[in-house]
Amino acid sequence: MTRLTRTALLGALALALFSSLPARTNEASALSAQQSGEPRKATASPSTLVVRELDLAGLKKLLSSEGREGRPLLVNFWATWCEPCRAEFPDLVKIDNEYRNRGLDFVTVSIDEASEINTTVPGFLKEMRALMPAYLLNTPEQDAAIQFVDPRWTGSLPATFLFDAQGKIVFKHVGRIKPDELRSAIKAVVSDK
Amino acid sequence: MMKRYLFTFALVFSLCCAALSNIDVKASDSEPGAIGSVVADFKLPDLDGKEQSLSSLKGKNATVLIFIGVQCPVSNAYNERMEKLAQDYRARGINVIGVNANSTESASEAKAHASSHNLTFPILKDNGNKLADRLGAERTPEAYVLDASNKIVYRGRIDNARNASSVSASELRDALEAVLAGKPVAKTSVPAFGCSIKRG
Repeated sequence: MTRLTRTALLGALALALFSSLPARTNEASALSAQQSGEPRKATASPSTLVVRELDLAGLKKLLSSEGREGRPLLVNFWATWCEPCRAEFPDLVKIDNEYRNRGLDFVTVSIDEASEINTTVPGFLKEMRALMPAYLLNTPEQDAAIQFVDPRWTGSLPATFLFDAQGKIVFKHVGRIKPDELRSAIKAVVSDK
Repeated sequence: MMKRYLFTFALVFSLCCAALSNIDVKASDSEPGAIGSVVADFKLPDLDGKEQSLSSLKGKNATVLIFIGVQCPVSNAYNERMEKLAQDYRARGINVIGVNANSTESASEAKAHASSHNLTFPILKDNGNKLADRLGAERTPEAYVLDASNKIVYRGRIDNARNASSVSASELRDALEAVLAGKPVAKTSVPAFGCSIKRG
């Protein structure tokens, strides 16, 4: 084997390994997510922040454990008009920063009016420097959506749910989160303890 | 012989487990504000500080308790509809009672709010969230329908749209019509997005 062939083989191997790594929050994954209809991978950086619309089927797909690659999922339901939602957001962003590379998927679901999907909602998320994939739930069946997430939830906001890798709710909090309580719950389910 | 003892022990143990799990089920059935549970009489001050009771304010045929807020935009979107509901049903023996359980909102703020939005139905101040806790109320607006014997027959949203012009289902009115007709309420529990009640 010549040196050139060896270098070419090593290069190809490195390229194959690199491209097989899961891309989470970069623009490429956001683009491929849009093309494939895959709801989970959406937002990029604050400067290219996109809030994606979810219907009831999209919400069900988002919360499904299929394709989650054994990762737990944290979901925060919020709205720009909800004062405690805004108040807890800096803590949520901190928690996302702490656990993004430690095996946790974190998405936010706004229930603002659909007309605010390109204005108020991304505006607030940019202000918060939020990097988690952001969605806006737009469905005439809000009651069905609430009951799908958790039959015991009355729809009070904010509400934060932690699903384990199998899709089971292992922690929930309605109202402003207590950051340390949420961190303890996350630590119990992420692979990097 | 030993095997038989072990078998008997296992049988007794599993029966105990089954019995305990049944107790759990029963406990969750009687959670606060469960449909079919009876609301015992309570006393709370109105927005002038005057003590009122469920028995003095209740309607002959039914009573609607609605948890409302001063600052909640969802609750505020329903001000006119709540007032209309109270007026439409007053003559039919159904009284609407508003309840402000937000620890962050004072009785005087709630009074000014009611006055500026022309809310004429009585509003009670639930200091310490005593009633909200008893009913398991978490949200504004969140409505409870009590029949003539104070049994909860409906809990949940007023209707299906924040924007009054988009309403296509009015579960609260449907529940009241069912009670007046002596029929069972079709949808007894309907959640909705709203503001959390600020507990003290």
